[in-house]
Amino acid sequence: MNNRNIIGIYDDQDVLLNALDELQENGVKIKDVYSPIPLHGVFERLHLKTRLPYATFIYGAIGVVSVFLFLYWTSVVSYPLKFGGKPLNTLSFIIIMFVLTIFVGTLFTFLTYFIREKMFPGKQVELPIPETTNDKFAVLIEKEVTMTEDDLKKVNSLLQKTGAVEIKETE
Amino acid sequence: MEKQLKVSSGFKTVMYVLIAFGLITVIIGFATGDHVRTWANLLLNNYYFMSVALGASFWLAIQAITQSGWSAGFVRVPQAMSNYLIVSFVLWFFMFFGLHDLYHWTHHDAVMNDSILLHKEPYLNIPFFAIRFVLFFGLWIFLTQRIKKLSLAEDQIGGLTNFNKIEFTSKVFIFVFAITFSLFAIDWLMSLDAHWYSTIYAVKKFIMAFYHGAVVITAIVIILNKLGYFPFLNKEHLGDFGRYIFILSIIWAYIWLSQYLLIWYANIPEETVYYIPRIMQEYKNFFYLELIVNWLFPFLFLMWNRIAKNPNALLFVAIVLMGGQWIELYMSIMPDTVSSHNITYIEFGTFFGYLALFALVVAWSLSRMPLVAKNHPYLPESIEHH
Repeated sequence: MNNRNIIGIYDDQDVLLNALDELQENGVKIKDVYSPIPLHGVFERLHLKTRLPYATFIYGAIGVVSVFLFLYWTSVVSYPLKFGGKPLNTLSFIIIMFVLTIFVGTLFTFLTYFIREKMFPGKQVELPIPETTNDKFAVLIEKEVTMTEDDLKKVNSLLQKTGAVEIKETE
Repeated sequence: MEKQLKVSSGFKTVMYVLIAFGLITVIIGFATGDHVRTWANLLLNNYYFMSVALGASFWLAIQAITQSGWSAGFVRVPQAMSNYLIVSFVLWFFMFFGLHDLYHWTHHDAVMNDSILLHKEPYLNIPFFAIRFVLFFGLWIFLTQRIKKLSLAEDQIGGLTNFNKIEFTSKVFIFVFAITFSLFAIDWLMSLDAHWYSTIYAVKKFIMAFYHGAVVITAIVIILNKLGYFPFLNKEHLGDFGRYIFILSIIWAYIWLSQYLLIWYANIPEETVYYIPRIMQEYKNFFYLELIVNWLFPFLFLMWNRIAKNPNALLFVAIVLMGGQWIELYMSIMPDTVSSHNITYIEFGTFFGYLALFALVVAWSLSRMPLVAKNHPYLPESIEHH
């Protein structure tokens, strides 16, 4: 947020998605997109990569194994109690394993996400414009030091051409 | 876009050969005195492809009532699959000759000496059984054909009238399907062991129909795309098809576990008898195979986003899951009919015969109508799906 940015504000998601394509075709580097709703297609267009699903898978695998070991230890090793003639080590473990796998996977994924994004309770909101929580979509383009006046004009005209309702600059 | 499917003569020849092969297998099966196994296999395959066709119709009905946009380009595939129901209806009729070999409750003297069967007699008797059979098939064929006709009428005149009528018919179909299909599964599969009953049995068969119906739709769409049809099929469509398979594999496993826990673990001896041959005796290797093929494999394989959007990987999953449905039905039917767990030429011959017939009927139906419903209101959204 300390950087100087050009912000193009759009009010329609289809216009925004087409604008992203056109900006990138003209060699403009897009820094970030803010949207009030999850938008299908932005992630692919910005060529973002995430390793978060792999982390979730690992947490889930750890969850399922550790919960099974715990159940095995409690009902087979430490306190074996036969009831109804059923075996001690049964498939009825699956329900608890299933639920706790989801729980462990979700909880640790959230924690990882918060740590990576440096989020914590009570953190101040960082928004380029507050309307992105309501009905506007914002495209951030970084104003690099190497950019000349012509470059800036080009970015401005491209934003206008692609249907931005407003263009702002932050210092 | 206006392209119509052309069925190549090579495909037809191969299918005819396979059907003939299946027919010969059945004749040999009867000639060598393996009556029960042959009838059991005919029942398995009749049920298999009827369930796929109905599951596909249910899938289509779900798309209609949720007004899904992404699938609008592919509605003709399940519509063509529903045509198989008419062929299936004819094939099921032959099953009535095998009732005595398969169903214990059809033997009059056995029922008279058995208080449980006598108690069920008002429902489980051959005339009422036949009436239900005709009624259920009549309803399914009427409703699925009506949806197809409305969709074809939409191609001619456009507008929203037919679209709304399809949505209404789909709602009716879902209600009818839920009730009749459950009773059909009870009639033809659960009554193989008429002393036993389970309330979750029909639910599992219902989910199986939906699951494998979606699987076969995916397979057909990908194969047609490889042949040059559906040029607008993109990664996101494949992702949605893959998501259907992924989610339904979890639901299927959920029902599988519910059945397992309710019957096996609830400690009711009358119900536990179902699992004795399946878990403890000769069928036990297939018991775990069923779970691994139908749940563990698609669950772990489709978890990776890149695989779920890859047509070859999805086609591979679909083919494996078609085997998975066969295993599930084998586990439902064989322990109650055939005494020994043994996969012979009859199993292979009948399955490939029926598969060829199904493929032929679907290909023929697809070639008789425009491959894309051109006036479907959501078609542009489906083509631009991202």
